[in-house]
Amino acid sequence: MTDSKPIEPIVEMRNIEKAFGAVQALRKVDLVLYPGEILGLVGDNSAGKSTLMKILTGAYQRDAGEIFVAGRPVHFKSPHESRDAGIEMIYQDFALCGNMDVGQNIFLGRWPRKGLFVNRRKMYAEADSVLKQLKVDVNSVYQKVESLSGGRQQSVAIARAISFEPRVVILDEPTANLSVMATERLLETMLELKKQGVAQIIISHRLVDIFAVGDRVMVLKRGEYVGDRHVKNTDEQEVLEIIVSGTREHALTADEVKAGEI
Amino acid sequence: MTPDVMTRLGRAPSQVVGGWEAGLFALLLLLYLGGAVVNPAFFGSTEAFHALLRDTSRVAIIAVGMTFVIVNKDLDLSVGSTYGLIAVVFARLYAPSFLDLDVITSVMICTLLGTVIGLTNGILVTILKVPAFIATLTMLFIGRGFVLALTHGQSIYYPDKAKDNPLFFRLGETNSFGFNNQIVIFIAIAVVGALVLAKTRWGYETFATGGNEQAAAYAGIPTNWVRTRAYLISSLCATLAGLLSATQDKGVTPLYGVSGELTVIAAVIIGGASILGGRGRVAGSCLGATLVVLLDKVLREGWPITRVIKIGDDEVTVNAIFSLPVGAVPVFLGLVLVLAVLIEPHLIRRQVATRFWAWLLGRPPPPAFEIGSIALEGIQTKGARATDMAMSATPLGKFFARRDSPAIILTALLWLTGVVLRPDYWWNLSNTFAILLNYTELALITIGLTYVIAAGDIDLSVGAVLALAGSTAAYFLKVLGADPFTAVAMGLLAGMAAGLFNAVVTVGFKLPAFIVTLGMFYIARGLAAWFIAGQQLTGWSENYNLLGRKVNDILLHFHVSLTPGILRSVAEAVSIQTIWMFFVALIAGVVLAYTPFGQKVLATGGNIRAAAYAGINTNRVRFISLILAALCATMAGIINIAYFRSFNPVAGQYRELDAIASVIIGGGSIFGGYGTMIGALAGAAVITLVRALLQLNVQGFTMPQHWINVFIGVILIVAVLIDIWVRQANIFGRLRTRLTRTAPTQESAHD
Repeated sequence: MTDSKPIEPIVEMRNIEKAFGAVQALRKVDLVLYPGEILGLVGDNSAGKSTLMKILTGAYQRDAGEIFVAGRPVHFKSPHESRDAGIEMIYQDFALCGNMDVGQNIFLGRWPRKGLFVNRRKMYAEADSVLKQLKVDVNSVYQKVESLSGGRQQSVAIARAISFEPRVVILDEPTANLSVMATERLLETMLELKKQGVAQIIISHRLVDIFAVGDRVMVLKRGEYVGDRHVKNTDEQEVLEIIVSGTREHALTADEVKAGEI
Repeated sequence: MTPDVMTRLGRAPSQVVGGWEAGLFALLLLLYLGGAVVNPAFFGSTEAFHALLRDTSRVAIIAVGMTFVIVNKDLDLSVGSTYGLIAVVFARLYAPSFLDLDVITSVMICTLLGTVIGLTNGILVTILKVPAFIATLTMLFIGRGFVLALTHGQSIYYPDKAKDNPLFFRLGETNSFGFNNQIVIFIAIAVVGALVLAKTRWGYETFATGGNEQAAAYAGIPTNWVRTRAYLISSLCATLAGLLSATQDKGVTPLYGVSGELTVIAAVIIGGASILGGRGRVAGSCLGATLVVLLDKVLREGWPITRVIKIGDDEVTVNAIFSLPVGAVPVFLGLVLVLAVLIEPHLIRRQVATRFWAWLLGRPPPPAFEIGSIALEGIQTKGARATDMAMSATPLGKFFARRDSPAIILTALLWLTGVVLRPDYWWNLSNTFAILLNYTELALITIGLTYVIAAGDIDLSVGAVLALAGSTAAYFLKVLGADPFTAVAMGLLAGMAAGLFNAVVTVGFKLPAFIVTLGMFYIARGLAAWFIAGQQLTGWSENYNLLGRKVNDILLHFHVSLTPGILRSVAEAVSIQTIWMFFVALIAGVVLAYTPFGQKVLATGGNIRAAAYAGINTNRVRFISLILAALCATMAGIINIAYFRSFNPVAGQYRELDAIASVIIGGGSIFGGYGTMIGALAGAAVITLVRALLQLNVQGFTMPQHWINVFIGVILIVAVLIDIWVRQANIFGRLRTRLTRTAPTQESAHD
C-alpha cells in the first residue's frame, strides 16, 4: 500500500456528529479512505460503525461535520445520491429479491430497456460479464437467487454493487452469514476488487478477516474515534486492546504509529 | 447484595384500563346524551338503553375473544359466520322438525363444532403458515356456504319446544331483576377476559407473541400454541354468542352474523388495539363494541324530522323518521373500521393526545418514540428456497419448472373431465362459449389482482368494487337517464374512487392492504345496496347493453349481416367482452413480463426493502397495482350490467374468493413476488371449469350452489397450502432428501 505518498483521499469525513434523541451516537469522528485501500472498521456493538457508514451513504443525516468525496464537499440526502457519487453499500442481508434471477437482481431497479421493454439479452450479457470480472462462479445468470447458497447470494450482491462501477464499496458484516469456504472466496473477491482500484470499507466483528485482506483498521468506541493502525504494523492483540481500553485522548493515527516505529 | 434504600416504584400503571378507555367512555356518554336530545323517543327510554346493552352483549363477547387474536397480530374474519353457523346448527339439532335432540347434546355438539373451527383456524395460520386473513376469510365463506346449505335459505323456529327447557332458554331472556341475562354473561366474560389478558402469563405470552413473535419464540414461549389458543378463545366466544342468540330468538334466519366480523373487528380496533399487534385491552374492546352497536342502532333507527307537506293550499308539518337505506350501515361501519385502524399507529403510538395537551399548557412535550417505518409495514414472510428446476435442459422440463404449468395442465384435465361426464353436452360450441362468458368476468378481475398479489399486497374488495361500478352505471342509466357514455364514465369514476381510497390508505398511511381493502369490501357493497334501495335497476337503452353482447348482435345492431359460414358462427358465439378481456390480458401480460414496470412489481413483492434500496419507488408500484385491480374490477362491473341488462345486488359476490384462488393456482404467491398473466388466465379457467363441472347435471344429480362456494373455499386453502409448502418450502424435495441421504441435493453440495 502506498500510504506514505500524499495522494488525495477518495473519502474524507471530518468531525461527524450524530445524536438519536438523548443518545450521542457519534462524537467528532474523522475517517479517511484512500483509493484502492481496504479499511476495516471495528469496535464493540453500538460503537457507531454502522451509523457512521449510514451517514456516509446518506441513509442518515449528520448533525454536524463535513464529508468530502474525491476532494469535493458532499451532502447526500439518500443512498441514491451517494450511489451517483460512486459509493455502494452491501447490506448484511444482501438486499436481494429471492423471487428474481441473478441477472434481474444485478440490475435491480435499473433494468436496461429497449423501447418500452426490458432488454433481456443485454441485461443477462452484462450481468454475466460483471460476474466474470469478479471471478465468482455463479452457475447461471438465469438462476433464481433464492435457490443460491449464502455465499453465492453475497457474490450476487457484490456483483450488483460492482456493476455501478463504484469507487468505494462498503461491506456491512460481509462474513456474518457465510461458511468458512464462502468467507475465503469473499476475501479473494475483495482482493480482486482492490486490484481494480476500488476502495473498500468492511464493518466486521471478525478481526481475522480484516487482517487477511485489510490495509488499515480503524477503531470506534462509544461513538468516538480511538485510533487506527496499518495492518502490517500491528497485530490482533493490539487492536483488541484498543477496542477494549482505548480512549479518545490516547488515540494514535496509523501514520503516527508508523512514524514512531521508524 | 441488596440496596439500602429501596427506590420507590410507585404504583404500577394499570394494565386493565387506561386513558383511551376513559376517552371512549366519555365519547359514549356524549353520543348517548346527544342521541337522547335529538331522538328522545328512542334514546330516552330505559327500554332502549336495555336493548343497547343486550345487543352489545353478544358483539362484546365475540370482541373479547377477538382481542386476544388481534393482540397476537392475527385476525379472525370467520367469527361472523361461526356465530351464524352455530345458531343454525343448534337449530338443526334441536328443532323438532329436524333432528329433535335434547338441549344438552345440542349445546355440546355446538361447542365441539366451535372448537373444531377454532383449531382449524389456528392450525392453518400457525403450523401450516397460511396468512391469517386468507385462512379465516376462506373459513368465513365456507361457514356462510354451510349456513345457506343447512337452512336452504329458510328460517327455522322452535318456540314451542323451547318451553320444555326453560333453564337454558332463560339465558337469553330478561330476569326477575329486570335486565337480560345476556348482560350478566357478557360482564362475566369481559371481567375474566380482561384479567386473563392483563394479569396472567397467558396474557403476557399473547403480548409477547404479538409484539415480536421471533423474540417470543426464542424466549421459549410456544407461540404456535399461543396463537392457536387465541383462535380457540375467539371461536368459542363466537359459539357462546351464537348460542345466546338461539336462546333469545328461539330460532334462526340464514342472515345471522352477516358482516358480524366487521362489527367485531371495528369494535376491537376502536377499543385501542393495534392491527399491527401487541397492543389492546379487553375493556377497550367492550367499550368499542358498545360504541359500534350504538352507531349501528342510530343508523338503523334514523332520526325524527319534521317535513312540510303541501296539500292543496295548506302547508302541513308532519313528523317523520328519516332513516338511511339498508346499504348505508355497512358503508359507515366499513369507514369506521378503516379510520379506527389508523388510530393506534398514528394517534396512540405517537401520543398525540398527550403531546397536544402539553402544547396547550405550554409545557415541553414528552419525548416521541422512534417509530420505525418497518414496524408499521407488515413483515413479509418468505418461504424457504424452492429447488430451481428452471435449468432443466428439455423444453418439457422447462415447462414443468414454470410456476404456472400446473394451472395449464389442470385446465386441460378439467375440460376433459367435462367431456367424459357429459359427452353429449360439454362438447358443443355453445356450452364452450357459455363457459367462456363466465370465464370473462373472473379473468378480467384476476388480471388486475395478479399485479396486486405480485407486488406483495392483496385486494379483498374486487367483488364489491365490481358491484359498486355496476350499480353506479345502472343508477345513472335508469334513475338519471344518462346516455351510455356518461354511465360508463360514472361507473369508471366510482370504481376508480374506490381504488384510489384503497391505494391512498394502504400506501399513504402504511397499513396492511388486507384491512383497508376489507373496509372497502363493506363500503363498496354497502354503497351498491344503497344505490338500488327500493328500485328495480333494469331496462335501459340497448345501446349500453352492446358492451355485453355477442359480436354478431353488435354487427346486426349496426345493420351489418354476415354471410353464413365459419365467420358468422364464430361471431354468433364470441362476445365483445371476451375479446376485450383478452386484449386487456395481452397488454397486462406483456407489461408484467417484459417491461421495467412489471419487473418493479415483482421486485417489490419479492423483497420490498431490497427494491427500495435499488431505487425503485415501491410506494408508486403498489399504488398503481391497487388502482389497476380496481380498474379491472370496475370494467367487469360495467360489462356485468350490460350483459344481464340489469344490476343484480349479488353481482360480484364471492368473486374476491374466486379471483384470489385463480391467482394462487396460476402460480402467484400469497407472499408476493410471483405471477404471470398466462398463469392468472389459466387459474381463472380452472376456477370457472370447477364451477361449471359442479353445476353439471350428471345423471339427474346437480350440486346446490351453496355447496359450490364451500368447495371453492376449500380449493383456495388447498392452493395456498400448495404454494407455501410445495413450491416455497419444497416439502417433497426435503422429504426425498431425507429418504435418500446418500444423494445430497444441489443445495447442500455447495458451501
